[in-house]
Amino acid sequence: MKCPMETRENGRLLDYASGKLDAVSSAQVEEHLQVCPACREFAGGQQLVWQALDAWEPTPASMDFDRRLYQAIEQQASWWVRLTRPFNPLFRHAVPIAAAAGVVIMAGLLMNRPPAKPTLAPQESAQVETLPPDQLQHALDDMEMLREFNHLLPPDHGDSKM
Amino acid sequence: MEERVKTDMGALAASLDFDAELMLRVKEGDGASFGKLLEKHRAPVIHFLYRMVQNQGVAEELAQEVFLRVYRSRESYEPTAKFTTWLFRIATHLALNSLRDGKNQRLEERLDDDSPATPVRQVSDRRPSVEQTMVYQVRLDEVRRAVAMLPEKQRAAVLMHKYEEMEYSQIAKVLNCSESAVKSLLFRAYETLRARLAHMA
Repeated sequence: MKCPMETRENGRLLDYASGKLDAVSSAQVEEHLQVCPACREFAGGQQLVWQALDAWEPTPASMDFDRRLYQAIEQQASWWVRLTRPFNPLFRHAVPIAAAAGVVIMAGLLMNRPPAKPTLAPQESAQVETLPPDQLQHALDDMEMLREFNHLLPPDHGDSKM
Repeated sequence: MEERVKTDMGALAASLDFDAELMLRVKEGDGASFGKLLEKHRAPVIHFLYRMVQNQGVAEELAQEVFLRVYRSRESYEPTAKFTTWLFRIATHLALNSLRDGKNQRLEERLDDDSPATPVRQVSDRRPSVEQTMVYQVRLDEVRRAVAMLPEKQRAAVLMHKYEEMEYSQIAKVLNCSESAVKSLLFRAYETLRARLAHMA
């Protein structure tokens, strides 16, 4: 066995001193301790610490530990449940009723929606705005020509034919 | 699909430990399983916390918080590690926070801690003599002081190694460090304790 102190395998010595090694490994360590003063000192000191720590016996828990714990669980876990408990029967019926009411209201809103106002398509108004000036001039000229043409006609010409 | 996941989780829990299986039952709403877990781990958790903070009142208060957190986390619990690893991770976290916050001292003033610092040794027929009791008391005080003077992480590692008999790998998971770091922590801690307690030989 290689020296645990030299190979930095101190865990093995700790385990030996703690009685955590199996019989074979323990025997190997003991064999090594016979020839290695450093490991012997380490293991001896460790066993002493182990025994000293054994003297520290735990204090028993309070008798009401569980009661306090369950009380805390009840307080924390169910504050919402306790808060809503009186309203539970209401909630049970209220949810489907509220859902149905919601559907009816939505349907009503959809049916009573005012018809959409006809609006000029933005493209059309843009076309008017962008009429070329010569085209406008042509239109005005045509209107003027028609008016003059109407003047040339006798006043009852159109009516006699009708 | 969900059923299969549940079965897989159950198999994993069973392969890990029985406690994880109990916790999965708690997750499914079985309050009795929580009672079994409490019964089994109440004492180790309180003792660990007591040795960490060295105040019985604070230790019990912290232990209450540990089990409360276990219960509150039941719905999100996944058995990815041993149950005790998870449990002691919570306990260590709370203990370290308590020590860092100095809550220990504040509570010491507030709590009417009437529990004895040392357990009442019940020896029915062979009562220890006054001298024996005093020697025991002195030795115990020295041990407590020596442990209390260890850095917090070293203290936690020693307590888990010595009293909870945890493997290095498990301590590493609790302290969120490598196994070699745990060995190093323990080695340094025991070295300090050897020096402080050498005169007790």
